[in-house]
Amino acid sequence: MVQINFANKEIQCKVVYYGPGMSGKTTNLEVVHKKAPPTSKGELTSIATEGDRTLFFDFMPLDLGNIAGIKTKFQLYTVPGQVYYNSTRKLVLQGVDGVVFVADSQAEKIEENIEAMENLRANLKEYGRDLHSIPIIVQFNKRDLPTAMTCEELNEKLNPMGAPTFEAVAATGEGVFPTLKALASLVLESINRDKKGGMASATAAPAKAAAAPGAPRKMPTAPKPMPAPAADGAPAAPRPVRPAAPAAPQTVRPAASAATATASRPTGGTKTVKRPARNAEPARRPEAGVRPMGKVNIKERKDASSMMLWVIVSTVILGAGAFLAWKFNLIG
Amino acid sequence: MPHPSRQYSDNDLRESRLVFYKEDIQQIDSTLREFLSRSKSQAALLVDKDGHLITQEGSADMTETDVDTISALVAGCFAATREMARILGEEEFTALFHQGRKDNLQLTLVGQRTILAVLFDDSTTIGMVRLYAAEAARKLTSLFRKILSRGETGHGENELADFEQAAAGTLDDVFGM
Repeated sequence: MVQINFANKEIQCKVVYYGPGMSGKTTNLEVVHKKAPPTSKGELTSIATEGDRTLFFDFMPLDLGNIAGIKTKFQLYTVPGQVYYNSTRKLVLQGVDGVVFVADSQAEKIEENIEAMENLRANLKEYGRDLHSIPIIVQFNKRDLPTAMTCEELNEKLNPMGAPTFEAVAATGEGVFPTLKALASLVLESINRDKKGGMASATAAPAKAAAAPGAPRKMPTAPKPMPAPAADGAPAAPRPVRPAAPAAPQTVRPAASAATATASRPTGGTKTVKRPARNAEPARRPEAGVRPMGKVNIKERKDASSMMLWVIVSTVILGAGAFLAWKFNLIG
Repeated sequence: MPHPSRQYSDNDLRESRLVFYKEDIQQIDSTLREFLSRSKSQAALLVDKDGHLITQEGSADMTETDVDTISALVAGCFAATREMARILGEEEFTALFHQGRKDNLQLTLVGQRTILAVLFDDSTTIGMVRLYAAEAARKLTSLFRKILSRGETGHGENELADFEQAAAGTLDDVFGM
């Protein structure tokens, strides 16, 4: 979501390049990175596999400078295109303000394009958004390839929402900037449009107008209270599936135990760990008392062997004592 | 299926968009400064879950673009662990710790939409940082609650007045057309 910071006079927007694998999303971003004015662009960060396929996302901040006295920043992301990576792809879409859908124009890729568009629709839906309301541009990439379908055909199959379309050959940089410029324009328009709508109704519903972070409708305590009988630190073999939002008592933990709760999650299923957060050394001992159920046998075996050692040692000492006592005629 | 843009802007965006005013940021900054001095950490960044930096305090050897990138990666990290939590049946992992040889990064969830990223070195301990980060998170959450209940202050209403017209010209400059 657009973040407006009136303190720094700054607006931040999130733009995501979406599309099937190998359609040229990262290439688009590389071109923007290469050709954008040096003062505007940040580093291009890529979380990619060794084979240079995007694993999580590529990221690049783009500073548009001052617009009407407000510093405007775009954060450009790409998603991994492969079907396999849908979970990470969905995460990148969180809070998106505008999407560039990069389609591969080749006829043999049309199914993948359609599938990716469907996937975009489904993933947006999970965030309560849809293709019709979000600022979106469809880019027909790889126009230079011999098997490229016509724009009309592509438009018919991929753009039922009637979004603006652009032709591109991202590998040569052609069409990359017009696409981004058009999207930036749509996103900035949407900020203003929302501002008008938002401000207009602000007087009617003032509590909602300045939506602050951490203050959604359902207000959690912070840090989120963890259900006391959590069995997730080191689970026992068959782990009961807990409901996604457990109806845990809304108690605020004392600071110390809240801070350490993540370090040593309650593991025994019924025990809670409360220990000072000072240093790790003395803290380790209480943890031994809450070993996970699955490891209890190992622990018992350890206890048994140390007990045996003690018995042997004490027998030897007692024996030696008795021998010496007998030797010096202390006992009959 | 008609999807008028009004519907989108009035309902969806306003509830989820983040708007901060000067006094909000001042209060957040003062909470962060107090946290830094008590926990003896180097720097604290408050980042929203979408990867945008809200504010930062303390000194770290980072340029502005580094901070932007760190913010995006912090949000990415948290998003990934949230997904893992969901799969494991946990609601959310509320803290993450990245240990380095000298510098460490501790991430703590603040409320539902922001993350506190703390950079610290071996002059303090993870326990101290966690303790005070949890305290700061609690303060910030209650601060956000106050901001929400206070409602619209009326500030900044005119700040965006010329935004749309100015935007077109700036886009031409940046994209060279």
